[in-house]
Amino acid sequence: MQQEPVVRIEGVSKKISSKTLIHNLTLHIPAGQVFGFLGPNGAGKTTTIRMMVGLMSITEGDIFVGGHSVKNEFEQAIAQVGAIVENPEMYKFMSGYQNLLHYARMMPNISKERIHEVVELVGLQKRIHDKVRTYSLGMRQRLGVAQALLHRPKLLVLDEPTNGLDPQGIRELRDYLRHLSRIEGITVFVSSHLLSEMELMCDTVAVIQNGKLVDVRQLKGQGEESLAVPIAFDVDDLAQAARIVPGGKVEDNVFIVQTVREEIAEINARLVQAGVKVFGINKVTRSLEDQFLEMTGSESIE
Amino acid sequence: MLSILALLSIGVPILLSLENNATKQSVWDSFMMSTSFVFFLNTIFAVVIAAESVAGEFSWGTIKLLLIRPWSRSKILASKYIATLLFSILSTVLLAALSFFTSLLIYSTDTIPSMVPPGIGAGKYVFLSLVCSYVDLFITVAIAFMLSTVFRSGGLSIGLSLFIMFTKGIFTMIFNPEKYTWANYLLFNHMDLSRYLVTNQGPGGATIGFSISILAVYYLILMAVTWVVFKKRDVAA
Repeated sequence: MQQEPVVRIEGVSKKISSKTLIHNLTLHIPAGQVFGFLGPNGAGKTTTIRMMVGLMSITEGDIFVGGHSVKNEFEQAIAQVGAIVENPEMYKFMSGYQNLLHYARMMPNISKERIHEVVELVGLQKRIHDKVRTYSLGMRQRLGVAQALLHRPKLLVLDEPTNGLDPQGIRELRDYLRHLSRIEGITVFVSSHLLSEMELMCDTVAVIQNGKLVDVRQLKGQGEESLAVPIAFDVDDLAQAARIVPGGKVEDNVFIVQTVREEIAEINARLVQAGVKVFGINKVTRSLEDQFLEMTGSESIE
Repeated sequence: MLSILALLSIGVPILLSLENNATKQSVWDSFMMSTSFVFFLNTIFAVVIAAESVAGEFSWGTIKLLLIRPWSRSKILASKYIATLLFSILSTVLLAALSFFTSLLIYSTDTIPSMVPPGIGAGKYVFLSLVCSYVDLFITVAIAFMLSTVFRSGGLSIGLSLFIMFTKGIFTMIFNPEKYTWANYLLFNHMDLSRYLVTNQGPGGATIGFSISILAVYYLILMAVTWVVFKKRDVAA
């Protein structure tokens, strides 16, 4: 992780008249990850993304993409970014292909082959010559991604990409985002308020609330083996289990022990030897949702 | 749009020729009538293009994708403005050429044109009046383009620009520069330069140089407002 982060958001604030939407936000997005940006509605996710891609001015601080300031070197900074901000709006009276051609013309050195390549990547070959008005939301989303990938950006920014997609569409989107980050090495920055989605999609998640960064947390690749985690034993006699294994506690009809992986089998053996029936052993994982609600609480929007 | 203009430019001289032995009229008279008539539509179309070019992107939501291309906002706006001007030049040339050739086919070249004042070549006169009409269109388009950028509403921008286009005569009447000295500095009193083709005296005793300076100043203000607003705008929702 010694690599230069793709995006550096440095002390960014956004004020509109007297309202401060973003408070002194500092965030580094490392290269090659799927980075989630999580927060309840109105937390400032979209505002931050709009500032990142230059749709909104930055009141204080600056954002650097690949080392170029969005404020002062906008053209160089944005050349490395592909983005969809909110809904993928296209020219409805043109075909998908014409739309891509139109965007390709606005960027240097994009060949016809590249257009075909991205069309294939998002799986739109069959319908690409149909008018965009005939597309479903999922197809428009794909076209949006195709548009964003045309110029081989280092960073792909997607604002609420799963909004309005059906479960299958969400799954496909997740799969090819993973594909993009694994195979093509693109850093993906996704915002969402759908926690379960982010859990499946992202390597790292930053949580924002009321315009302030609450937490940044790794979702994958921790050294889980050596960490003591709560393990739930589903047993018939809770009281006896508690006597046999000290340090455990009874909660919601299960017996919970804080322990490391190696000792789980041992505890099980002791329980069984003492005649306690063990029906199930589970790792108690606090889902992102629990963590998220814990962090953001029920604080209301300012 | 261009085909409607083309059809009208051919159609008007033909319709005029249906008048009782009108074919004896001069080519130049027919050309003048036809162009001044079709030019209204030409201006309206140019205004529509100017108004929709920026406001349309906002109402379709495509502005978000447009502004995240690797180009500065000034360049994007400039390209839109240039595209609008190219359209207006193309449509004006088309209308002039078609009107002229249709008139040439129908009308007589020997008759002395009644609409051209004496002492000036007919060709030169009609060409200059066309240029004057284009200047008028050019300023109206600049107004439409500014309104489109500021209000992001195509309808409002088209409506207001056309209102200005049709009422500037009334404006000149109410705020007559002969009555009020400050009215000399109103844009509306100087948009029609064609009067300078027949006289040296403009409204309120203005000279052509004065009128052109007024137009230039207003034009620069319109453009400055457009650019500043577009550059500063936060694109939300």
